[in-house]
Amino acid sequence: MSLRDTIRARLAGRTGPAYWRSLEELAGEVGFAGWIEEEFPGLAQAFGQALGRRHVLRMIGASLSLAGLAGCSPAAPDVEMAVPVEEPGMEPGSIRHYATATTLGGIATGVLVTHADARPIKIEGNPDHPASLGATSVFDQAALLQLYDPDRAATVTRGGAIATPGEAFGALRARLDALAAAQGAGLHILSGAFSSPTLAAQRAALIAAYPRARWHGHEPASRANVWRGAALAFGREAEPLPALDRAEIILAVDSDLLSAAPGHLSYVRAFAARRAPTAGMNRLYVWEATPSLTGAAADHRFAVPPRDTFRLLQKLAALIAGGSAGEAPGWLLPLAQDLAAHRGAALLHVGPEQPPETHTLAHLINQALAAPIRLIAPVLAPQSSDLADLCRDIAAGGVDTLIMLGGDPVYSAAGDLGFAELLARVPHRFHLAPYRNATAEASEWVIPEAHELESWSDARAFDGSVTIQQPQLRPLHGGSSAHQLLAVLLGSVDADPRAPVLAEWQRRAHAAGQASGFETFWQDALRKGLVADSAQPSLDLSPKIAIAALAAPPVADGLALLFRTDAALWDGRFANNGWLQELPHPLTTLTWDNAALIAPADAAQRDLATGDVVRLAIGRHAIEAPVWIQPGQAAGSITLPLGYGQVRGGRIATGVGFDAYRLRSHDAPWQQGGATLDRLGRTVAFAATQHQPTMQGRDLLRTVSLADLADAASGWDPERPEPSLYPGAEADRPAWGMAIDLSRCVGCGACMVACQAENNVPVVGKEEVQRGRAMHWLRIDRYYQGGEAAPRTLFQPVLCMHCENAPCEVVCPVDATVHDREGLNVMVYNRCIGTRFCSNNCPYKVRRFNFFDYAGAEARPAAARNPDVTVRSRGVMEKCTYCLQRIKTAEIAAERDGKALADGDVVTACQAACAARAITFGDIRDPHSAVARAKANPLDYAVLGELGTRPRTSYAARLSNPNPAIGEES
Amino acid sequence: MSDRLIAPGESFASVTDRVTGIVFDPPHRLGWWLLMLLALALVGLGTLAIGWLFVAGIGIWGINIPVAWGFAISNYVWWIGMASGGTMISSLFHVMRADWRSSVNRLAETMTLFAAACAGIFPILHLGRPYYFYWLFPYPNVMGLWPQFRSPLLWDFFAILTYVLCSMLFWYVGLIPDLATMRDRAPSRAGQIVYGLLALGWRGSALQWLRYQSAYRVLAGLMGPLVISVHSIVGLDFAGGLTPGWHSTQYPPFFVFGAVLSGFGIVLMLAIPLRRAYRLEALITPRHLDILARLTLLSSLAVGYAYAMDLFTAFYGDSRYDHDLALDRLIGHYAPLFWITILCNLLLPQALWWRRVRQDTRLLLVIGASVVLGMWCERILIVLQSLAHEYEPSRWGLFHPTFWDWATLLGTIGLFLAGLLLLLRLLPALSLFELRDLLARRGAAHG
Repeated sequence: MSLRDTIRARLAGRTGPAYWRSLEELAGEVGFAGWIEEEFPGLAQAFGQALGRRHVLRMIGASLSLAGLAGCSPAAPDVEMAVPVEEPGMEPGSIRHYATATTLGGIATGVLVTHADARPIKIEGNPDHPASLGATSVFDQAALLQLYDPDRAATVTRGGAIATPGEAFGALRARLDALAAAQGAGLHILSGAFSSPTLAAQRAALIAAYPRARWHGHEPASRANVWRGAALAFGREAEPLPALDRAEIILAVDSDLLSAAPGHLSYVRAFAARRAPTAGMNRLYVWEATPSLTGAAADHRFAVPPRDTFRLLQKLAALIAGGSAGEAPGWLLPLAQDLAAHRGAALLHVGPEQPPETHTLAHLINQALAAPIRLIAPVLAPQSSDLADLCRDIAAGGVDTLIMLGGDPVYSAAGDLGFAELLARVPHRFHLAPYRNATAEASEWVIPEAHELESWSDARAFDGSVTIQQPQLRPLHGGSSAHQLLAVLLGSVDADPRAPVLAEWQRRAHAAGQASGFETFWQDALRKGLVADSAQPSLDLSPKIAIAALAAPPVADGLALLFRTDAALWDGRFANNGWLQELPHPLTTLTWDNAALIAPADAAQRDLATGDVVRLAIGRHAIEAPVWIQPGQAAGSITLPLGYGQVRGGRIATGVGFDAYRLRSHDAPWQQGGATLDRLGRTVAFAATQHQPTMQGRDLLRTVSLADLADAASGWDPERPEPSLYPGAEADRPAWGMAIDLSRCVGCGACMVACQAENNVPVVGKEEVQRGRAMHWLRIDRYYQGGEAAPRTLFQPVLCMHCENAPCEVVCPVDATVHDREGLNVMVYNRCIGTRFCSNNCPYKVRRFNFFDYAGAEARPAAARNPDVTVRSRGVMEKCTYCLQRIKTAEIAAERDGKALADGDVVTACQAACAARAITFGDIRDPHSAVARAKANPLDYAVLGELGTRPRTSYAARLSNPNPAIGEES
Repeated sequence: MSDRLIAPGESFASVTDRVTGIVFDPPHRLGWWLLMLLALALVGLGTLAIGWLFVAGIGIWGINIPVAWGFAISNYVWWIGMASGGTMISSLFHVMRADWRSSVNRLAETMTLFAAACAGIFPILHLGRPYYFYWLFPYPNVMGLWPQFRSPLLWDFFAILTYVLCSMLFWYVGLIPDLATMRDRAPSRAGQIVYGLLALGWRGSALQWLRYQSAYRVLAGLMGPLVISVHSIVGLDFAGGLTPGWHSTQYPPFFVFGAVLSGFGIVLMLAIPLRRAYRLEALITPRHLDILARLTLLSSLAVGYAYAMDLFTAFYGDSRYDHDLALDRLIGHYAPLFWITILCNLLLPQALWWRRVRQDTRLLLVIGASVVLGMWCERILIVLQSLAHEYEPSRWGLFHPTFWDWATLLGTIGLFLAGLLLLLRLLPALSLFELRDLLARRGAAHG
């Protein structure tokens, strides 16, 4: 029995959390022998012999003295490797921040990692980094949990049996030596998309040394269409960077502008800043086949089936040029006029799922509109060859050794490539594996990959700015980085993880003639998390093709399948991350599942209900998937989120949802026509966190249009607080309050994950979510308005309102929830006996109850938790505290320094994460504080204020800016 | 015939023989044992459920957010409501000197005792951390903490505690003269000792009778207000909340009405089989059943009035939340519970307007059982449906009972049954001294 079978056998049948320190422990004797062999060569043989008494005593003596040496093994985190943001000299035990970056699809977002006692415990955005501006995405927040994931690949294995890193690298060198004579022919390397200058240099060096070796790129969520579209328009590949701060009219076509595009946090920031009457409010039009966050933020959203997009865009171009469009929807002309009237301040943005021709057309229209868009060279390192080329090479028998750097290509390869079967034909397969995923299973050699928070590397942001990634701790599972592996290939015997990155930047400094100032540059770049002036220059490109000359892309006829990255799992790389699995998808509120999103009209026609399992087939490939009726989905299209249905890769990742990759085609990765759908007669139960789609005519989430706001007669009646006989806030203490601007919120959910990370909020699992027991302290309610074919989507983040007259407090029989002098409704966990009356009496339903020992059941090391926040036990109530620990930290610091607390000293976790700056927090007693000014906004209102609860959290009504020439309904 | 509270031809000796005979020479031994085994099986199931509850936590139940109270609180309200039946019959009618109570008060009080015990289990079990239930006591402690006196739950705790203690005391005091009879008639030495100890030296002297009567009357006077207060406070548990469907000024009297209705229902349900099984038709006469049936009808009408007012205020008032909730009660997911409630508590008892129905023990049994079932549905409906349909539609959610919810409920039913069966074999099922008193007074009146 191989090691992995042993482990699987031992894990099988275990339900609930099973704790183990290492795979070796699980494996029992097999692993133990391997470990002994690795640590104490010779001892293993000794165990096999008949031992004399003296021999045993010698062994015991040796093991006693060696136990001291074992204490020196690299288990403790070594943060001296990292350079803190603050100046050195801080006292031990204090909080430190270290700058680094997280990457998604190779593109960086700058982050600051918070360390408590040398342990990374929280991730914040880096305010100096252009892709973050201090904000984070859900993926950035969840990287922390990924770092501590006990399921990550932890041991080098060969054919499933435990081996040593030395053996693995030795085998690698041996293959290289064998292939060196043929100039590397037969050596193939497969990597994801990357922007790392160091990796690019290492790749160049490798190809230089072995000219016939080949490097293939495979990124499931590739942005190649964007670059090809630009190439068609301008003659060279380019990435458009819209300047939303200057855009008044925006048309987003199947766009991920506000959800996932590289740099989307900065786009959200710029977009949201102009969602106010005083800021020259912008207007967003969205055409899309499947609802997205961008569509939800739109003033006008039109469900356009994918096959119509290009033609409609052609008509729009004709209208903008002053021509006629022929037969077109009624809203197209006013839209064209709106765009044309804002020349220089109007722009189009197209998502990466659209074919290159659509991008070309959008580029040409943008040129005609003089759109505020900057073009830069793609920041990702170019990949001349892809997975399909690799498959061809394997089929031709030309691949002797395949080195797969990270990822899970066996899982994420398009189904029609048959990569899994082809891979078996490669004689020597190496995988630098983040998890023991499907690719690791299919590889001969598995080398654990260090998490990017454990590695030295570098990466570019969406605008090209470089961050040098510094490790936050020694690799927990002893993994290696791609740089280390390539260094071995390049003949290095030094396993120093920093060396390749340092060498590359030293080389660059030499080349630029700045070698003398290198140490300052290096320290500075690490501390700031940004290499100064490293952004890409703009390209000055002019169109090489006329609109009329542009050929239409092939149209997918029949039932179209749309493949999309998932809002929580992306392409599947986050599948073993509990925070993301349990993060409700913004539009469906679905957790722990993906679903085939089907338009209400299509579902009605086929008599399908949400949860019905269908068989979706294209050609000879078929999958079974449950459907979800998605209001706003374009008729004739079904959206399949990627990333689910993994059969390997961790306890959380496996057995969740269906695998849409099996239907994906390499040549048409985003949409395919001609699908068939058959009902199977089975149903599945989803775990959604919201069951009621509409507000039932209630006045919870208020909306007003810009025109109505200006027109006092027809529109908005500012809310005045009711007088109260109850005493108000105390004069000598801060009065904490929060204002949430619904016009700014795009519903991304970063606040939810940030809150979960900050406050040790446990993950409860699918069954518990189904029972209505999700623990998120902050939730985002999603309401639809209007018909289900084209509804308006509204988001409302809801957290504890910290009512001044809190209904929860009066009903607790033991005084476990009380008011403090600063207006906080605080929860005394130790005093709570769990009557749950407080939750019943909370009109906002923001209280969460530990029905089971959720925190104790989490397979999460104690070290990963925030030490300033109590971990709650079974049977107690919990809820949002306004990040009490952050308030107290700031108050203690102010008191220590003898200063008054200034506005902005306290930033809640949700507020810090929010790219849109929708959340303002502070002392409402001070009329000059940001929160007091936000509450003075005439749009400000209290949810359910008529109950007399006097909530400290208030909302600014969601403002829209519809085109008066287009009716409400469209 | 039907106005007789005791059959003609009964004498002191015959009454005493008939009642003590159930203990000393029990009929239907096999039937008793079969019932007892069933009851004990249910108790076992309930014990298992409670044991697992302590091990795993209250997550084993179907409760969630928003429906954070489920079966436990509903069952508690249901049981405590049924407990009221005994107290009403014993204490109020004792104070009002209603003679007819004499034959049924022991049965009713015993029922009260076990119903209250079943009820009392739930408020503690339902706590997230039941081992800290004593924090509800206002006892001096090193933490310097008191309970929170504004919470209706705290007053509920005091009210149940007082009610259960007083019910036990009332029941026991009412037993003392009969325990002396048992002591005197016990065939075995052990029986004589045990009954003798429990009889507290009762000799039946005139002075003892004088003191006894005044003490019993004081206790009876105390129990009347207590039954009102305990159900009012149970009503306030809900009315004190902000939740639509709970936040209603009529809840305290409404809960008293409901409690009394289920109390009479359960007494009917127990008295009819008992008089048949132990041939007590001469002591629990059709007249008794007729009075119980009339009382059931009266309380059914009172409850009907409360239902009507509940709907009226919801639709008459201008609260959208109350309005939507009332509509949901009529046609929403939980509507079947509502209509079962109306059928069982309001419509079926209307048959009691007819004398022939009041004299038909089988129909009375059906109506008694229907009222008990209807009141359970009503309690479940009030707790679940109000919480499931609150202010924010995004937080609407349903409750789905689990196996353990049902197991705990069945366990308390088993406990109730086992307790009744046990005491039936150990104590006089009817109040001997009151029956003799009744006979004496009737004898004097009729010559």
